[in-house]
Amino acid sequence: MKSKKVLLSLISILVIFSVFLAGCNSKDSNGSNKSDKKDVTLDIFQFKVEFKKQFEDVVKKYEAENPGVHINITTVGGGQDYGVALKSKFASGKEPAIFNVGGPQDVADWNKKLADMSDTKASKAALEGTLDGVTKDGEILGLPYNQEGYGLIYNKKLFEQAGIDPASIKDFASLEAAVKTLDEQKDKLKIKAVFALPAKETWVTGLHLSNAFIAPEFDGNVLKAFDAKKVDFKYGDAMKKFLDLQNKYSAQPTVSLDYSQQVEKLFSTGSVAIIEQGNWVYGSIAGVDQDFADNNIGLLPIPVEGYKEDSIPVGVPMYWAVNKTLDKNVVAESKKFLDWLYTSDEGKKTVLEDFKFIPAYEGYDTSKISDPLSKAIYQYAQDKKTIGWTFMGYPSGWGMDKLGVNIQKYLSNKMSWEDLVKESQKSWEDARK
Amino acid sequence: MRTKDISYWLFLAPALLALSLVVIVPLAMGIYYSFTDWNGIDSSGFIGFQNYIDLFKDKAFMDALWFTVKFAIVSIILINFFGFSLALIVTSKIKSSKFLRTIFFMPNLIGGLILGFIWQFIFTEIFSSIGEMFGIENLQGWLSTTNTGFWGLVILMSWQMSGYIMIIYIAYLESVPGELLEAAQIDGASPFQRLRYIILPLVAPAFTVSMFLTLSNSFKLYDQNLSLTGGGPFDSTQMVAMEIFKTAFSANQMAYAQAKAVVFFIIVAAISLTQVYFNKKKEVEM
Repeated sequence: MKSKKVLLSLISILVIFSVFLAGCNSKDSNGSNKSDKKDVTLDIFQFKVEFKKQFEDVVKKYEAENPGVHINITTVGGGQDYGVALKSKFASGKEPAIFNVGGPQDVADWNKKLADMSDTKASKAALEGTLDGVTKDGEILGLPYNQEGYGLIYNKKLFEQAGIDPASIKDFASLEAAVKTLDEQKDKLKIKAVFALPAKETWVTGLHLSNAFIAPEFDGNVLKAFDAKKVDFKYGDAMKKFLDLQNKYSAQPTVSLDYSQQVEKLFSTGSVAIIEQGNWVYGSIAGVDQDFADNNIGLLPIPVEGYKEDSIPVGVPMYWAVNKTLDKNVVAESKKFLDWLYTSDEGKKTVLEDFKFIPAYEGYDTSKISDPLSKAIYQYAQDKKTIGWTFMGYPSGWGMDKLGVNIQKYLSNKMSWEDLVKESQKSWEDARK
Repeated sequence: MRTKDISYWLFLAPALLALSLVVIVPLAMGIYYSFTDWNGIDSSGFIGFQNYIDLFKDKAFMDALWFTVKFAIVSIILINFFGFSLALIVTSKIKSSKFLRTIFFMPNLIGGLILGFIWQFIFTEIFSSIGEMFGIENLQGWLSTTNTGFWGLVILMSWQMSGYIMIIYIAYLESVPGELLEAAQIDGASPFQRLRYIILPLVAPAFTVSMFLTLSNSFKLYDQNLSLTGGGPFDSTQMVAMEIFKTAFSANQMAYAQAKAVVFFIIVAAISLTQVYFNKKKEVEM
């Protein structure tokens, strides 16, 4: 019997101990509850790895100018990984003051935490349409990072050698003709193939490629996509043609081709002539061949037959959000910092020149945009030749894990296009019941 | 019984505390969550057995489970075969056996994620170059089909784990008394008979341990799977751990994934316990 007592007391000690441990954790994340205007700590939890260093530098500057404000930055890269890490961060009780949301789904998920940003200068300066994804019941719940766009990035030199004028490519027919010309001269141009289609990266096929053909159904509005109970694949045939073209003339096997093979190994070394990617690849290409990245790449539109054949999809990849459940002072200082970053002269200069962003706000000297892809995208946006980004409005996981996977099946001849459309429609409807 | 002693429990307390905090409490919480519709942020409460009913109709989960079972069977056989063979080689009278032990054990010291990427390069680049040079069709396009993905995983896993399992076999092989083997030799037993009637029964406990380790490791494989094939093409080389992770973090169905994890836990526990029970029967007392 004695052993039972001992066991019981041990268990109770355990329970008390774990409660005590849990209690240690739930302290206010500011470390102190002083409403003293002078001292405030902002924890930033953000996703963009590419500008981590530049961002840390600008934060140091801001801290120097605003004594009493301390900013800690944590960066976790990659779309999915960031979502995972953010949830863990909140679950652990150390809630960040500033974090990122991607679109309507995130806004719905984090609704209880998001502060209204309507009172910031930055929200008023944001370009038309960039706030669609984070506007809810009249409140603006996030501020755009920047604009990004994607299309068909091509190798200027190879086009020249093959005698193709990139300016003549305005629709699907002319694109197909150019691809055939390149393919005929494969040996002369010393290329492996015309395209590199990374079907292993389901975000390239299931999110980006599909978006160009699905966005028109929702008028390019992410909220419409988010509220939609079904998806029609109205431009499904055009999508099939575009996918088939890339697959037929791509380096094989496409289903195991990944991002680094596509961009670094094949495109940057001139082994393929065209890839479907966005301005974020500039850094990767420059890492292999700086000169090539600066002088020899251009951007062609993605032809959506029956809609717009000379446009590229442009959108906002992520938004800054402020956690309203923290101390009032912290919320106010967080907004102040974001305003400073996007609307002060110094902040603007940093955003353009150090971050190399395509700004999503008015009042920037856009002649300072440095890399050729961002320049081209900005030009498309100026000419109103854009398609919206609606993939943030797809059901959770639908684009990558359902459609992207079905595209892999289709490319492996394990699924017909009709079945792909049917299956994908069904999983969309199931998710939106 | 010693358990009446207070000192016995005192010595056990730190270990018990650690175990309960990192294993038992999370397990209990996990089982609790699996009956809710928690999405990682908030939950609307209990939904009974709905998650469990759904998962048995979930084709993706069942496919992953079946793939994992096939993988586990092949891996267990191959790893134990190679591990035992290597152990026999390095405990025999060859030179450089110390050096060989180190070499065979080395793959184990590299993390699974890194190994996955290294082998991915070997399969996709080196294999296809060799294939192109000698015109061997079968070496091209590795990891782009379900079959090559499966064998790729098996090769990677066998290469990584055989050395580790070898160490366990070595320990038991070296404890086999020399005089027994010598007596058998004098009685005219062939090398094969010595292996079959003396060595194997005496190292039976090693088989119990090794098979348990390879079984649970093959079932729980995640990082090699992620970096080598990423589940591709079309999720056909996706193992259970990865499927559960995706359910939790990309489809945001935490509670549903937790239910899958509970089922997975029960399956692995049942199989391992059965295996240990049958293996134990084969062990002999000296």
